[in-house]
Amino acid sequence: MGASSPYIELHCHSAYSFLDGASMPDELIERAGELGYGALALTDHDSVAGAMELAVAARRSSVRAIFGTELTVALPASDPRGQTPGDDRRFAHLTLLVRDGRGWRNLCRLLTLAHAHTRARSDRRLSQPSVSLQQVSEHANGLVCLTGCAQHGVRDERTVRILRDSFGPERLRVELQRPYAHGDRARNRALELLANRLSLRTVATGDVHAHAPMRALLQDALVAVRHGATLDGSEVCRRPNHTHVLAAPDAMAARFGSHPDAVAETVSLAEMLTFQLTGDLGYRYPGHDDGGATRMLTGICQGALGMRYSGNHPRLAEAQARLEAELQTIDTLGLSGFFLLHHEILELAHAVATEVRGRDSARALLAPGRGRGSSVSSIVCYLTGLSHIDPIANDLAIGRFLHEDITALPDIDIDFPRDIRERLIPRIVDHYGAERAALVATFPTYRARGAIRELGKALGLPAGEIERVARGSEGRGSQGTVAADVAAALGKERLERGRWAWLCRLANEAHGLPRHMSQHPGGMVISTRPLIDCCPVVPAAMESRQIVQWDKDSCADAGFLKIDLLGLGMLSAVERCVELIAARHKQTVDLSRIPFDDKATFQCIQEAKTTGVFQIESRAQMGSLRRTRPQTLAELTIQVALVRPGPIVGGAVNPYIERRQRLALEPDFQVPYLHHSLRGPLAETLGTIIFQDQVIEVAQAFASFSAGEAEGLRRAMSRKRSEQAIASHHERFIAGACRAHSDVDESLAEEVWKMVRGFAGFGFPKAHGAAFGLLAYQSTWLRVHYPAEFLCALLNEQPMGFYPPDSLIGEAQRRGVRILAADVNHSGAECTLAEDGAICMGLAYIKGIRQIDIDSLLAAREADGAFVSLEDLRARSGLPSSALQALAWSGACAGLMAGGEHGAGVGAGADHRTRRTALWKLGVPKGKAPIKQGRQLALELSLGDAPELPALSDWELMIADYSVTGVSIERHPLALLRAELTRLGAHATAALADMAHGCEVAVGGLVIARQRPATANGITFLLIEDEHGTLNVIVPTRLYERQRQIVRTEPLLLACGRLERHQSGGGAINLLARSLEPLRDIWGPSASVTALANADGQAGTDATADGDRAAAAVGPAELEATGTDGFLAVAPPAHSFAQGRRR
Amino acid sequence: MSKSVSPNVPRPVSVKAHRGVPLVVAGEKVEAVRDSWLIEDQWWTECPIRRHYHELVGVRGRNLVVFCDLRTGGWFRQAA
Repeated sequence: MGASSPYIELHCHSAYSFLDGASMPDELIERAGELGYGALALTDHDSVAGAMELAVAARRSSVRAIFGTELTVALPASDPRGQTPGDDRRFAHLTLLVRDGRGWRNLCRLLTLAHAHTRARSDRRLSQPSVSLQQVSEHANGLVCLTGCAQHGVRDERTVRILRDSFGPERLRVELQRPYAHGDRARNRALELLANRLSLRTVATGDVHAHAPMRALLQDALVAVRHGATLDGSEVCRRPNHTHVLAAPDAMAARFGSHPDAVAETVSLAEMLTFQLTGDLGYRYPGHDDGGATRMLTGICQGALGMRYSGNHPRLAEAQARLEAELQTIDTLGLSGFFLLHHEILELAHAVATEVRGRDSARALLAPGRGRGSSVSSIVCYLTGLSHIDPIANDLAIGRFLHEDITALPDIDIDFPRDIRERLIPRIVDHYGAERAALVATFPTYRARGAIRELGKALGLPAGEIERVARGSEGRGSQGTVAADVAAALGKERLERGRWAWLCRLANEAHGLPRHMSQHPGGMVISTRPLIDCCPVVPAAMESRQIVQWDKDSCADAGFLKIDLLGLGMLSAVERCVELIAARHKQTVDLSRIPFDDKATFQCIQEAKTTGVFQIESRAQMGSLRRTRPQTLAELTIQVALVRPGPIVGGAVNPYIERRQRLALEPDFQVPYLHHSLRGPLAETLGTIIFQDQVIEVAQAFASFSAGEAEGLRRAMSRKRSEQAIASHHERFIAGACRAHSDVDESLAEEVWKMVRGFAGFGFPKAHGAAFGLLAYQSTWLRVHYPAEFLCALLNEQPMGFYPPDSLIGEAQRRGVRILAADVNHSGAECTLAEDGAICMGLAYIKGIRQIDIDSLLAAREADGAFVSLEDLRARSGLPSSALQALAWSGACAGLMAGGEHGAGVGAGADHRTRRTALWKLGVPKGKAPIKQGRQLALELSLGDAPELPALSDWELMIADYSVTGVSIERHPLALLRAELTRLGAHATAALADMAHGCEVAVGGLVIARQRPATANGITFLLIEDEHGTLNVIVPTRLYERQRQIVRTEPLLLACGRLERHQSGGGAINLLARSLEPLRDIWGPSASVTALANADGQAGTDATADGDRAAAAVGPAELEATGTDGFLAVAPPAHSFAQGRRR
Repeated sequence: MSKSVSPNVPRPVSVKAHRGVPLVVAGEKVEAVRDSWLIEDQWWTECPIRRHYHELVGVRGRNLVVFCDLRTGGWFRQAA
């Protein structure tokens, strides 16, 4: 190592020095190899987040990885480098490098200490990590210390002496850097003198921040982003030049020509730093080494077997045999402790669930969590409570989850209702110890939209234009795509040169780089030894949570066991629903015992009346449901798995549906199989591959793969960039099939392979389909039999599901569910259900009102009764002006002006007049100024009479509703446009049912979903909604290319084209669009958006001060700047191109 | 009265150099090179900057700051 390399780089930052480093660890390693380096050290700021990636990349390269960090040290206050508290000059940097295992443990502990206080602020905003010199001294063993970078390194003799005492002269070096900045030479001369005085050696480093010159430009932009500045305005923060790009060893030696000893020292030091991260870090999960684990697991399972399959249960013998086989495999693999650990966590969840739900609540009957994924196929999981699906009754094969050839720990994922999960995570940390349990990290990366916004701002591009480009972006992030985004939004000429061209280049470079650290949705690591000896643990943004500095891939590479505890919104919603049913109907619903063959429920499923239910509510699922018409839970299991990339790309969807339809008409129809050996694996899916498990079963039955080989094929198919891995199985598959069956020739084998190969995209295992199918059925059952309770529960669990609350409400209203707007005298914080079944919107739906304001209002109402007037509301609630104005503008005060009746007496006519008047009356008086001892005693308040104010139009009221609450209960925008649409010859969706296939129609609608699945060959689907229902609009590729900005950003559209109603579509109506027009021109009287609602309750803590900030929201001028107006600014967010809901 | 800010506009200067290091500036021999540094900035604009600066001591004892514009090869002087 390094024999031919005169210089080793010992100070290098990757993109895990967020918004500072501009290259990934693997890019750095690869480039170092090209340049002839023998080793490379990664020293990110206060982090080892990229260390495992570096280690893995180094395994494939000739470059040896060295691990370390650039640690921030808080110098004593007397230190001349900083005097002012809060000033970053108080902090200095040290470069720490790991020599051995003990050094790694000390580094992890130091980094844990450095971050321990970083979330100490009341708002938990991240502050600067740092340790004291004392802490560094206490953890010096096994580490080598360099005195730090040119800008922030330690240079005072007193501190260096302390470091020499801690590390000794053999493990402390004075660090020299030559970034070609003003003052370099003098500094290095002074440092060399210091080293001589203290008998220390110097070492040269490059402070690398990028692997290639183009990334140095990106590094400039990232620094500007980090400082919230533009490139033009951040000169003092940025590096003066681009010499921080990884340079060749010879060039670095030449750069330090006057310090040859410091150059030679890099090589000597590197030889001392031999620690390898890919070795055994000493991690063990609890129960790993427990000799009695198998006996205990067997006992638990046998006990549960007796209960689950009691008496002369018809499946007892089969279950017993399956259990014995599974326990045998688990014992052979040494995984008993692994299952016991999961069982123990579930026991904790039981205790938490009892506390959260209360012992006597209606939902106390429900299990605390549910299994998902392939683990649901395990009878051990079923009997230990980790799954709720009987694998015997549901005919779930175990192979995919557990077999003797597995090379990695199996995945057990458990879904919990959100409130239980919220409490369970800190409980686990308490149970196993804060040093031994933490969540896994995740690193959100730059994608096109974020890059356009942040880098565009850094380049000083106009905010309105940036927003237009970002909103219309296809979101993929390759250079071509961002360029296409700019061209589509602003015209091609912008790309020719200048800052827009730079934006495209920078966005391309930034694509995929981590931007900051966050927490994984549910992955947790638990250890027997302190985790902080294996990986640093840092506080998360959420209180009571902490995370390891590695993401799931690094944790897997380190051999950590990750347990997934996932929050599932629908589980929370069904639990809420069960509670609401108990409260209103005095019935206790046990969802595991409802009838699973309910005709009304299946009728709804078959007619795709599934808005709001789990999994089968999306546009694509609805389209498919009308064709497959599931009649049983088993068929619903298939349905849930059907609309996935695997079956779609594999060509399974249409054959499956056609065969189902054919069988419905001709019960004697013989399902065709490519080969008789496929009849077993593919019988239930009618000769097609819909489940992941079937890939395994087909490979075994047709090509005589062993279980391990078949699982290898499945894994290859689920891996990214799996082409090579899959190809390696191809030959074996063909040869195996021809050898195993005399009637199989190469062409038939290739045909079956094609079917298997097509499944390479994402697909569900059958067990997962069964678990999700059951919840899909249960949620549909609740929707059918308790529509108001179900909607109320959904509204209180937002955000979740496919549809925004506005669409859920509109659809429920069309089914007869009554919804009442929020009202200061009748609403709670959440949506509530009246005895007559009407849903009263919760005050939390009103934007700009904080929880503390709601609590204050409800407490005042509880204490002294309903409010009788606006004056009374203002005087007793103590709300700031911003909250009062939001209440007035939402219509929640209408009752106070019309006699206090909710939902009555404030008819549409009254609302037109009252809102503006209430807003005037509550907005005029100023709040009282705070004084030192508190507030002035409130005197009685007279709001006076409002002047004669013009009534609001219906359109203005609707805009107000959307802007303040996000929903419009009384006015659908299309209903308001109906007269004009009719004049234009457009049809309502209700009229389409009577129209013939193929006729030309024009339909106006509010866009609630935009989708362009990768599997649809460029076709875009829009789901639009009017006051009568929804319509699926198919946008061909050429139309999309022509009108991309309209497709991607317009909320109200007029779609013209051909009506399609195919017999095989089960009555589904689509519109094949020929043209799309925004409905802006006929929006009627333009209503500007009065921005009362921006605060979102995030303003300061002082109510009066907050009130004075009132509507510091997006003003009309800003809206104009972003190219939006009126409805565009307030439209309910649409499900948009797999990016979740957004406007 | 607000304090005016010097624009510190670079002025062309004649420089004799060897391997990029100034030997003579405006006829004055260079006695010593105190420091040198590199500025690369404004690459996103129409006028990107790439300058190699030198802080020098002339034989007459004066401090001089000159830079070579790495894009054009021209030499300029700026106030120290």
